[in-house]
Amino acid sequence: MIPSVRTRILERLTPWLVPAAILLGWQAAASTGLVSTRFMPAPSGVVAAGWQAARSGELWSNLSISFARAAVGFLIGGGIGFALGLANGLSRLSERLTDTTLQMIRNIPHLSLIPLVILWFGIDEGAKLFLVAIGVFFPVYANTLHGIRSVDPQLVEMGRVYGMSPATLFRRVVLPGALPSIFVGLRYALGIMWLTLIVAETISASSGLGYMAMQAREFMLVDVVVLAIVIYAGLGKAADAVTRLLERRFLAWNPAYRNA
Amino acid sequence: MLATALRVPEDAQTRDPKPREVAASRAPARAAPPSATGIGVTLRDLRKDFDGHTVIEGLDLHIPAGQFVAVVGRSGCGKSTLLRLILGLEQASAGRIALETRAVRTPPKRIMFQEPRLLPWARVVDNVAVGLGEGGSRAERRARAEAALAEVGLSEKAGNWPATLSGGQRQRVALARALVSRPGLLALDEPLGALDALTRIDMQAMIERIWRAQGFTAILVTHDVAEAVAMADRILVVEAGRIALDVAVDVPRPRRRGDADLAALEGRILDHLLSERAPS
Repeated sequence: MIPSVRTRILERLTPWLVPAAILLGWQAAASTGLVSTRFMPAPSGVVAAGWQAARSGELWSNLSISFARAAVGFLIGGGIGFALGLANGLSRLSERLTDTTLQMIRNIPHLSLIPLVILWFGIDEGAKLFLVAIGVFFPVYANTLHGIRSVDPQLVEMGRVYGMSPATLFRRVVLPGALPSIFVGLRYALGIMWLTLIVAETISASSGLGYMAMQAREFMLVDVVVLAIVIYAGLGKAADAVTRLLERRFLAWNPAYRNA
Repeated sequence: MLATALRVPEDAQTRDPKPREVAASRAPARAAPPSATGIGVTLRDLRKDFDGHTVIEGLDLHIPAGQFVAVVGRSGCGKSTLLRLILGLEQASAGRIALETRAVRTPPKRIMFQEPRLLPWARVVDNVAVGLGEGGSRAERRARAEAALAEVGLSEKAGNWPATLSGGQRQRVALARALVSRPGLLALDEPLGALDALTRIDMQAMIERIWRAQGFTAILVTHDVAEAVAMADRILVVEAGRIALDVAVDVPRPRRRGDADLAALEGRILDHLLSERAPS
């Protein structure tokens, strides 16, 4: 039987029930004075702070700066990770040459490089881009390599027997076969991207969301601090939604993703 | 009656100690139907080693263009290696492989594997088009792929993902992919081994019908003797890297399942295979 419109709306709403309940409880606790708004502003206070920051343009400029840093850092680190993942997945020589080195570097928590990075780059853009790039590099690299490695060798043999040139073989067999794994790397990388950027902006920046939050802390503007945290949550959700959209578009052939 | 139906070339009946000397006398078991599109295969003193271990040794064989040959044997006897050598998927350690055709442009060689090996990320029709190689316009490729799909009775599945097909349907798509380029030689490496009994019989009939219509040379590797007897003009029993038995199946087509002559031939080949177990 086809589910009725009401059932479908209910199904859509279910995931949001818990967040809504928390918000309501929070608002009630703040309004009744159970929780001091000096430490935890009411949701309405956060919305008001957001409205004010949006009207002054401060929110947009900080948001766009953070977004640009995230995107550029991601493109650099993800691009290099993807290229090296491909190279090492396809060429034994390349792998033997670089993989051991990369695995050694991988075990260093990239945020532990912050003091060094500040020494090298100061608190310029370079520092943030470098950290984000290093952070996203490894998940993209490792999953691209794994994806290429795990392409079904029977399909590769079929492609060869049917006369595919190396370029066609890569485009039609190897890359599509590695794509599910590459998407896993992409999701990890997007999470690490925000995490790294926020930490970097909190520690050393003169603009961006992290900077906005740190400055608000100095003036005891708790509502702005919470606003920044809520925006992080929203950005994370947005990044995840984009990946899901891409997965549904590019992995439609895979029954595991068709109705995801 | 049996005697005429199941004629065996003299030299193939016993394992001969000096295969090179009898090579010339190993002529085709009977006159093959003339084929303009098929590829003829001649092997001379073929040998193949893997890591110092000899899989095929001193093998001589002629397959006339257009013949349907079944190769049977125990696991590890070298029958799949023989197929891969003929296709050029493996390099021979010694000996010569000659392919000849009467066609002006050499038709391609194609293989059907035991697994369908379809690209899961390509629609059924695009999977079939893989068999066309790289040339041709989009529209032309699509038209030819659709024609090949129609031949295996799967026109309505052209836009499906392979994951939505049954095992038998996937193997039919693989057959369409192998046939879409009008091959001169079709190698079948136990392509029906994973299918259920009824689907197998349907597929056997389909392959036989298309083979009769197109006239390619077919080499079927199988360990199902009944399948070999039902489909082939000629059956080769491979044993320890040599051809131990070379039998013509002179039973007219279309063949009926359970035919007495076929059953008798099947019994004889099985006896031969089973007797290999106890070397005297």
